[in-house]
Formats: sequence, structure tokens, C-alpha cells
Amino acid sequence: MVSQKDRAQVEEVIDEVSGKVYLPPCQIACPLGEDIQRSHAMLALLRLEPEEAANQIIEIGNEIYEKNPLFPICSYICGLCEKECNYKDETGAVRRKMLVRLIAEHYLPYLETKPPLPAPTKEKVAVIGGGPGGLMCAYELSKMGYQVSILERNPELGGALQYIPRYRLPQEIVNSVINSLLRIAHIEVKLGVQMGDSGKTLKDLKSEGYRAIFIATGTPVPRPLTMEGELVKGAELEGVIFGLNLLYEVNQGNVPPRLYKGKRVIVVGGGNVAFDVARTARRLGGDVTLVCLECEDKSSKDGIPADVEEIEGATEEGIKIVYSRGVEEIIGEDGKFRKIKCPRCTSVFDEDGRFNPKCDRSDVIYVEGDVLLVTIGQAPELAFYRQEGLLNERGRIDIDQLTLMNNLKPGVFIGGDVKRVGFAAEAMRDGVIAAESIDRYLKGKELGVGRKKEYESAPILKGTHYKPQPELVWAPVEERLNFEPFEQGFTLEQAVAEARRCLCCGPCKSCKACVALEFQPEIPEIKYNEELCIDCGNCVFYCPCDAIKFKSPRGVRFDMTLCRACGLCVAVCPAMALEMENWEREHISALITKAASETEKPKILVFRCQWTVLPPLDRKFAPNVGVIDLPCAARVETFHILEALQKGIDGVLIAACPEEDCHRQTGSKEAQRSVVALGERLSQIGLQDRLHFCTVAPRHPEELDRELEQFRQRIEAIYSKESR
Amino acid sequence: MIVTTPKPLDELLDFLSPYTNILIAGCDGCTQPPRGLREAKTLSQLLELGGKLRNKNFTFKVTTVAKQCDNYLAASILRPQINGVEAVLSLACGIGTQTLAEIFPELPVFPAQNTHFMGAEEREAGILEERCVGCGDCLLAVTGGICPVARCSKGLLNGACGGSKEGKCELDPEKDCAWILIYERLKKMGKLELLKEFRPPRDYQLSGWRVTP
Repeated sequence: MVSQKDRAQVEEVIDEVSGKVYLPPCQIACPLGEDIQRSHAMLALLRLEPEEAANQIIEIGNEIYEKNPLFPICSYICGLCEKECNYKDETGAVRRKMLVRLIAEHYLPYLETKPPLPAPTKEKVAVIGGGPGGLMCAYELSKMGYQVSILERNPELGGALQYIPRYRLPQEIVNSVINSLLRIAHIEVKLGVQMGDSGKTLKDLKSEGYRAIFIATGTPVPRPLTMEGELVKGAELEGVIFGLNLLYEVNQGNVPPRLYKGKRVIVVGGGNVAFDVARTARRLGGDVTLVCLECEDKSSKDGIPADVEEIEGATEEGIKIVYSRGVEEIIGEDGKFRKIKCPRCTSVFDEDGRFNPKCDRSDVIYVEGDVLLVTIGQAPELAFYRQEGLLNERGRIDIDQLTLMNNLKPGVFIGGDVKRVGFAAEAMRDGVIAAESIDRYLKGKELGVGRKKEYESAPILKGTHYKPQPELVWAPVEERLNFEPFEQGFTLEQAVAEARRCLCCGPCKSCKACVALEFQPEIPEIKYNEELCIDCGNCVFYCPCDAIKFKSPRGVRFDMTLCRACGLCVAVCPAMALEMENWEREHISALITKAASETEKPKILVFRCQWTVLPPLDRKFAPNVGVIDLPCAARVETFHILEALQKGIDGVLIAACPEEDCHRQTGSKEAQRSVVALGERLSQIGLQDRLHFCTVAPRHPEELDRELEQFRQRIEAIYSKESR
Repeated sequence: MIVTTPKPLDELLDFLSPYTNILIAGCDGCTQPPRGLREAKTLSQLLELGGKLRNKNFTFKVTTVAKQCDNYLAASILRPQINGVEAVLSLACGIGTQTLAEIFPELPVFPAQNTHFMGAEEREAGILEERCVGCGDCLLAVTGGICPVARCSKGLLNGACGGSKEGKCELDPEKDCAWILIYERLKKMGKLELLKEFRPPRDYQLSGWRVTP
């Protein structure tokens, strides 16, 4: 017997035609492959009772934690999924980051008490570098039963997370997530451990019993200013510092709160980190100007790389941006920084797309200031890798891209920013990949077999209604020039509404939220009786998911990777050649018989779409009301409505989602069409008042109550007239 | 396809009131949506409810036939089911209903549908429009695949008339002028010279009542 929990496990859906793994685009974009659609669907179907809702959110958090134990951190700094959301080009991406932040808010208190994984007993593995990549690798290894130690040079874990300003990522969240992770995954931590010259070697680690090593030391070295390959003069002047160092010191609490009061601060750089530095300097009281090589037009090849939100936020905070300027010389007076000489940058990237800035030195401006913060990128520290022989003859880290194992030293795996600078989640993915490789390596298995996967992105369904994207709310500038987060989170109601905006583009079997929530025992299949089929094509025409195709020379076939199991095809088939698993015609008929016998007179039967009104599923109704929940209002057949009336039900109410809210796109609209058509025919025999179609806004059971009450009065009036 | 619409239920109840055991025969053939098994079932349910309100209890059998207008096919499917049946209600077009009347000369056979025309469905709009009148002298080869006999309100063979206005018919401004459609189509095909050929008046004898296949 398969347990409900097992049935609710997501399945990999392989596209019939391309042979690729078929997923919603957000999930493909997420380096950790979070089950994004599933958690959105679960949020959308959150129960109304606050306590149950809170428990459900923790359940959702547990599922995300399984794949990404750093998700509360990601909910402040990531958002890669939103860049690929199908909704993006319509009215704006579903705000996953904010949704996860809400989940994290509920989850963090629970995280402190979350039970640990079973204590690991397998071989010892060392992870060098305690940033997102290293932490993730340690977690994955621990899940597999390996004993992991993280060796970190700094006095605290977190790596690049320690450079993110606190107004973007609160310190207590970083601490709480990392400390809980160490406890839950039994990860041993050794802080202040130097590798290489003055510290340990890989040989040392081997002799300490570590059987495999993952190295993820990131890019801790700030890049100095250069002009056409030459270092820019004047970097040694007092007042010239690296922005990265400022970020670290501020986060460590080593900087007075008004450090730059009355000072003119110049930040050089156009990336998100440069904006972190500029906005940090502004929060320290500085009058900040940011100078960058890139131009203002983000769509240009030489456009500024920082995110729009950063540029907007910085501008609001009074930071001036000087676009398209390089730095040729840093000029000082009496050993102190005074100004920079800035020729106009004519091109940033060359024709091959390589970073190769060109400046027109005849067009020069000078920007004056008291402090110069250089934030033009970071580089790895490769000395240790060189000493250990991990580099190839070109001086590059020599690894297999699929498995991340060093080509020169088996058992040594390298990933994260040191391999290629990217987002935190990308470094974390490297951690996952390395953990899998280490497991295979230690088991003596083939490292690469079966790991290369290709993905196919699910499109938007047809008949979609687009709802506007909620605006992000920031605290006004005068209130936010400090290190407190200023982005307002979603309320629970806002979060549920936003989760409902998710189109659930992916196939049902890769989501199964409805199964996990026990709305249905499994994702139903459509059963097709080819003998009854009359080739009319109605199912093909009406299917909102393009899941039904004509077969040549006759018949149809169902692509269950695309099917969303609404049941519309079953209801429109004129030959009754289709059936839906778990919602068979006979099964619904039996429910009608039961309702007809169990309810009191005058009997009312409600056919209800489970998506709109599901949260209060277990609510009690009056003794004369029977309720049948269907996967979508589209599954309602005229056959069943008439059958109910034949079996002595006095009135039938159909409660569907509002058209624009229909989880199955056209389901609600088609249900309404068929009910209206049936109503017209019932009016020919005087029974029009026995049938009522209504839409009920999600999470508003009182709307159903209201509709039901009005309908009950109507039916009771008819009933008392008849009894007289 | 042959376009039909359901008759009002009270009219059907009037037909059927003298009888109790009734066979409703669907037709999967050429109507859209097909009035097959589902419609036969739905109709039986509606008539049963309507009958009860008139204090009349019907007993229905429901079935369907691939093409009621094929007397051989219809007879083979329906004859075995006819035992005890007092009346037949046909969901087919007028042709199918007449076929059943021929097959069961001893039984009353009633139409459940009104038959309108031979037409096609504009699926997105859900509209059915006449496309063929069965004139017996098909002109579609020279009119760009658009029939002026069925679609021109005046049935002109050498259009357009002077009443065509902005591509619409003077008799019904909702309706496209068939001759403008023909002109545009022939233009697209580079065959406008076809319009120079004069077409003599229709031979009405060709739309006769019997042909040998």
C-alpha cells in the first residue's frame, strides 16, 4: 500500500517529444530546483484558521528546507526564479522572494527547535570555506550520512553573506539560519583556519582522516582600479579604500554610525555591490556620488549591471550617479585623497563580449571627494590552489564542469564563486553537485553517469487572466537611512493573493500540492474509451492546456504531462467517451444519491470547485445542504445536475471560482456557459429557479454562505408553495 | 454539417404525452455539437422532470446511431432496441427523423430538433452559418471556394449588386457581401479574370430530388 506521503512526492515528468525534463520555468531557473509551483499552490490553498494556517506554512517551510536550508536568507537576496516567471512579460513576475520571506518569518522560530538529522556515521569530509556553497555542500553530505567539518578562515561563517548590508539581509537571520543548520546537520566548524603557506595543507587534512574535500573559498580579494591594463596611480592615498572592506567592517560593528558625516564619498563601480557600498556610505552620513563605466541604458550592451531596484533606491536616497566615466588617476594632496580624473568611457565590452573598457582621454571631468571607495569586482585568492597543484598550465582552476572534481587531484572538489563569480544560489548549487560527486567518489561509483539533464520549460496555459503585480512597499527615505530592512513584507492575506497569481505552469505530477494537501488521492488520469469516441474534436477544442491531440486517422490522444485534470473534456464529450479517475460519473452519481438520502427537505445540493472554497472544506452546513467537491467547476456535468433533481434534490447550486481566478483558466467560464444553457432549457418546463450558478472569491466562505442563504430562501419558498 | 437547434421541451412533451415507453435516438453524425449519447441522456432527464410536473411518468431508453440518415445502419442499431417502445424521439436532422419514420412505419417518430441548413461552425465565436443550399451545380471552382448561391442574400451568380456597402450586404449589414469575399479571394489567388466570365441563370431542375450515386 502506497502511503499518502509517498503519493504526494513530486515526480519527474519527461516531455514526450523532446525527452527533456518538463518543469515550470521558475523551477528550472532556481539553481536549487526548489519546488516553487508546489509551495505557491500550497500557500494559495492555505487554511483560514490562523493556527492551521501557521502549521501549514511550517510544513511548506519544511519542504523548502529539504532542498534549501538557507531559504530564509535567499528570501532576502535571491529572486532568480522571478526573472524567468512566465508572468514576467505580462503584468510582472510572481513575487516569489516576498512569498518565501513570509514563509521564513513563520519558519524561523520553528527552526530553532527543528529536530536534527540522524547523526552521521560515514566517512569524514572537509569543506574549506564557510560561505553559501560550503554550507550547502556540508548539509547535503550530512543528509547522506557523512561527517562534515567546515574549515573557515574568518572568525564567523557566511562567506560573502557577511558583505551584504544589514538593511538588505538582517544579521539575526544569517545567524539563526547558519546556527540551526550546524545543529541540525551535525556540522563541525573550525574557525580561523588558514590554508596554504601559513596554515594547513591538503595532506594535513588527509592525515586527519578526511576522505574527500570540497573547496569553496569564494572571491575575497577586491580588484584594484586599472586603466588599460595598468594599475591606476594614487591607490595608496589616505581615504582610498576598498568598498568590500567597508561592508565587512560595518557588518562587524567596527565602524562609528556617522563615519562619513559631512564627507563627500565617491564610490567607483556599477554593480550591485557598488550600490551596497554607496547606500552603506549614505547611511553613514556621507554625501555620495557613484561613478561607473557603464551607461544609464540597461538594455545597451554597456548598460549598468546593477538591478533597477538598487538604482531607484539609491537615487531616492540622494545618491548621485555619474555614468560612462572611467578612472584614469587618483589625485591627492598631502597624502590625502582629493579627486579622481575621469575620462569618458566610450565602450565597456568589446565585440567578443569581453570586459575591455575604452576611454576618450580628451573628454575628462574631475570628481572631488574626501573618501574613495573602490568596488569594481572581486577576485579569488589562488595561492593555495597553486601550491596544492590544483591549477592547469594556464593558471586556471582545473575541474570537471559536471562533477566539479579537480582533474589533477582526485577526491578534491571545487565550486562556488572561486570557480566563477555568480549568485549565492549558484554557489549553493555547486555545493549540492559536489556533495553528490563526493558521495559517488567515496562509494567508488562513476562520477558523471546520468547527471546531465536537459529541461523543457512549460508555457502559459491558454485563456489566462492576468492580475497586476503587487507593488513593493519601501519605507520613505527619511526613515530608511539606517541599517534596518526597509522593504515591507507581505501580510498573510497579501501572500495568499500573490500565491494565487501563480499560474502553476508546470505539469501536475511535478507539483502535487493538491495531493499533499489531501484534496485528492492522486493526480487523476483521463480514461478514454476509443470505441465510444465519435471524432467530434470537442475535447481537443475545449482543453485549456492543449493536452489533447487528434490522432491520425481517427481518435484522440492525451498528453498527461500537459493535463491539469480539470475534467472539462469529460463534461463536454457528447459521446460520454471520457472518464476522469477518482471523479468517475458513477462515483459522482453515488455521492448525489447519498446527498439526496441524507439531507433534509427542502434538499439543496452544492457542486463546489475545490480550488475556490477549499480552505473551509470541513465546515459544517445546514442539515438540508449536501456538498460535492469537484476538481474544478468544469467537471460539473448537466447529467449530474439533472440527476440530482431527478433524485429528489430541490435545488442545485454550482459554486465556481471567479473567471479571472480560475485555476484551470477556462474551467469556470465553460462551467457557467453550460449551466446557463441548461437553465434556459429548464425554464421551458418551469424549473429555472432550481438551478443557480455563482462565483465565490477564494478564501471568502462568507460569500458562499450568502449565496447559499439566498438560494435556500428561494428553494424554501418554492417548497412551501408546493407543499401547500 | 447539418445545423439543428433543439425544439422547446413543452412542444416535445405535447408530442409525447399519449405515450409512456419512449426511445430517444441520438445521432453522432453531422451536427455540431453532436446530439449523441449525452444529449439523448440529457433530453431524457429533462423530459422526465417535465413529465412529472404534468403528472406524467415516462420511461425512456436512450441510444445513439452513428448516422441516422443511413437506413441500413440505423435499422441494424435500433431494431433490436425497439421492443416495447411506443414512440421514438429522434435527435437527428429532418433527414434522420424521416429515415426512422421509414424504418418504423408502425411507430410515431418525432423530431427533437428543428433543422435549419447545411452550414459550418465558427468555433471561437460559437456561430453556425449556412454554406450550401444543395443547388446541384457547384460553382465553387470559379468563385474562389465561396458559394454565392448560399451566401449572397439575393443568390446572384454575377455579383456584386449595387447594394453592397463597405463589404456588407444591404439586406443584412451584419452579413458579409459574398461577392466582395469572392472578389478578395480571387484577387489573392491572381484569378480575377474568372469574374469576367458571364454565368447564365441557374438551372433549378438540377436541385432535383433524386440522383444515382
